Amino acid sequence: MDALAAIRDVFFQECEEQLAELESGLLAMEGGDTDPETINAVFRAVHSIKGGAGAFSLEALIRFAHVFETALDEMRSGRLAPSSDVLKTMLRAADVLADLVRAARVDEDGQHPHAATLAEELKAMSGAAGEADETEEDWGDFEFQPMAAAMDAPEAPAGPTGFVVTFKPRADLYAKANEAALLLRELGRLGAVEVELDAHDVPPLHEMDPEAAYLAWTITVTGDADEAAIREVFEWVDGDCELNIQAIGGEAEGDDGAEAAFDLSALLARVQGDAPAEAAPEPEAPIAAAFEPIPEPPVVAAPVVAAAPAPLAPPAAANEPSPDGQAGGGARKAEAAAGATIRVDLDRVDRLIDLVGELVINQAVLAQRVMEAGLARASAVAMGLDELEQLTREIQDSVMAIRAQPVKSVFQRMPRLVREVAAMTGKPVRLVTEGEGTEVDKTVIERLADPLTHMIRNAIDHGLESPEKRAAAGKPAEGVVRLSAAHRSGRIVIEVADDGGGINRERVKSIAIEKGLISAEATLSDEEIDNLIFMPGFSTASEVSDISGRGVGMDVVRRSIQALGGRITITSRPGKGSIFTMSLPLTLAVLDGMVVSVQGQTLVAPITAIVETLQPKASDVHSLGGHARVISIRGGFVPLIDVGMALGYRREPLPATQGVALLIEGEGGARAALLCDAIQGQRQVVIKSLEANYRQVPGVAAATILGDGRVALILDIDTIVAVSRGEMRKAG
Amino acid sequence: MSMTVLTVDDSRTMREMLRLALADAGFRVVQAEDGIHGLEVLQAESPQVIVTDINMPRMDGFGFIEEVRGDQRYRGIPILVLTTESDAEKKNRARMAGATGWIVKPFNPVKLVDAIRRVAA
Repeated sequence: MDALAAIRDVFFQECEEQLAELESGLLAMEGGDTDPETINAVFRAVHSIKGGAGAFSLEALIRFAHVFETALDEMRSGRLAPSSDVLKTMLRAADVLADLVRAARVDEDGQHPHAATLAEELKAMSGAAGEADETEEDWGDFEFQPMAAAMDAPEAPAGPTGFVVTFKPRADLYAKANEAALLLRELGRLGAVEVELDAHDVPPLHEMDPEAAYLAWTITVTGDADEAAIREVFEWVDGDCELNIQAIGGEAEGDDGAEAAFDLSALLARVQGDAPAEAAPEPEAPIAAAFEPIPEPPVVAAPVVAAAPAPLAPPAAANEPSPDGQAGGGARKAEAAAGATIRVDLDRVDRLIDLVGELVINQAVLAQRVMEAGLARASAVAMGLDELEQLTREIQDSVMAIRAQPVKSVFQRMPRLVREVAAMTGKPVRLVTEGEGTEVDKTVIERLADPLTHMIRNAIDHGLESPEKRAAAGKPAEGVVRLSAAHRSGRIVIEVADDGGGINRERVKSIAIEKGLISAEATLSDEEIDNLIFMPGFSTASEVSDISGRGVGMDVVRRSIQALGGRITITSRPGKGSIFTMSLPLTLAVLDGMVVSVQGQTLVAPITAIVETLQPKASDVHSLGGHARVISIRGGFVPLIDVGMALGYRREPLPATQGVALLIEGEGGARAALLCDAIQGQRQVVIKSLEANYRQVPGVAAATILGDGRVALILDIDTIVAVSRGEMRKAG
Repeated sequence: MSMTVLTVDDSRTMREMLRLALADAGFRVVQAEDGIHGLEVLQAESPQVIVTDINMPRMDGFGFIEEVRGDQRYRGIPILVLTTESDAEKKNRARMAGATGWIVKPFNPVKLVDAIRRVAA
């Protein structure tokens, strides 16, 4: 039962994959894809779901899948044109199928509000009258149902005492790997049998064609067996033999006695190869040829073993694996071929990743100890350590790759969302996705769905104009939302773009002023205005609509992206649309960091945020009163933030000339310079959650363990910048 | 030495169902995901019986059967075809291609094993 439950899980997992395949195929066809393989894949997806559903007797699912499959089959065979309307119905059917699958998963294999109507629509498309009846019949019986039912076997006369079966195979029967002897054995299971061999047709040996069939049998079956049972034995060879079944009711038996009468066991014995292979050409010839005797183990393979009495394979075992090491090798190779993937519990992978993290830290600690011990760089120990470091890095990459998955799993949820939001808003929308194969850590993927959902809703609801407005602006009525993913400099960049009206900057600015987010006099660049929509509290009551306004503003989206170590920015062009760009780390497990010292503390700044490092000159730094300072960089001013002050390590600011500044770029392109005491170096660090091990600390994103075993905090740059800017505003 | 059965099916669910039923009956089961993969596994494993699906990507069941029957080394191996419906046309095509017999899905494990015993010594 346990095993069956596991297969059930596999089934539902597979269903999700098939549903995704189904949807993407239908969407491709809607976009003009005419590749026959696309419709085939779509058909197969529904077909597979039906097949699996049959195995678990999920009736509602089977019925709907069957109707759907029939319509797809019509399309596949060219009888139903894949018009836009037809495909739209198919897409809705795909949604219903998805719902039915999910309902079945939680044991609710029941009714779906739209299943019946859509089934009718699909049936109407298939155009087959009486389709419903066929459905009933096909799926009314889930038992194994061989041909017997379909072969209108004549009624057996009442009370026959037995049957005489004359059976003469044609060469085709053997060509399909059927086996006369096995059929006779089957007959033997039905009752007492008497078998006569008719070898009349066997030619002299030199005229014999090894592929031809010469033998015939007359078998008398007595007992309870009925004619249908006998026909069932010959079900698979019907058409490849001459077969005559006669009830024994006083008629004459098989005519003139054949030369050689074999009993069943003798026949079987011969086929198994015990008896001399005389005039029995047909089955043996091809089979014997199929298995070439395995050569004896080569002596070079294992000299020690060869010295012992080598087991000589007896001829009978020629087609079985030989008992030496070769067989093992063959089996391994075959296993690799049979299963290109394995399924592993995620916990095990996570554990592995944790351990590799520890390994990286330990390796760094060891390297530091070796250096402290004063060993030369060229010493064997140091060189061995270098290799160890290389290997550790490779192991880390490989292990991370195990958990990497294509973003497809998230992207494929979006078409349905788009259809739903399009229907709710009355805006025709086409979703274009790109780069679905881009891989990113599973933990990142899992947390992408919510922000992406919200952004796409937002793009349709707020980004795209109404069809009338679009028409007035000379745009096609159908809006386009583009969702794309790509790898860029060690991060994954995901974009949600719409071809709508762009950000209404006047309106955004007035809302921000109204909400007290900016002062009325503030002069902001277009970019800064666009980024106001990410500010907490920007989302207004008047903005709340059925679709986007579920109490979630863009600030929440930004926060969830930041929680992933990512950044989100917007670029907008009036009349042309907006692009939201998210840049995320490929993994949440490691980070490339700049290690710095501040007031005796070691801190790590994420390297992705750092634009450049510089040594401040006294002439470049200007005080704004209080502790607020700015530094001039190539003619512009950016705030200079003393990290020691920001984190509360010191009360008096470090003189700028005594430190090093990291020029960083935060959210929305805002820049700041972080003043530290010194830079220690650049390295990859393993992220340890502070929240999980301690608690959340403002300005600190996480922690790590350095090579010398000390804990170092990883800076949350955006928070530090935001807090300092707030203070600066107060000061200014 | 237990008999080796090769199952060829693009559905993981089906492959697992077949494995469960066949392994329970004491067969050694090797699997493939489509016709082309099936030919590879066939070469590596020399199964005594093949059970194959029809609808598969890359190479479907018909193509797979024709390939097997066309190969001197494998032509004697019994091939049972899995069909979802009792579709006479599909069965006939499979037989023309050289299928030994067929099994209607959803299959009953006992009948499946019987079917295999029916074609293999």
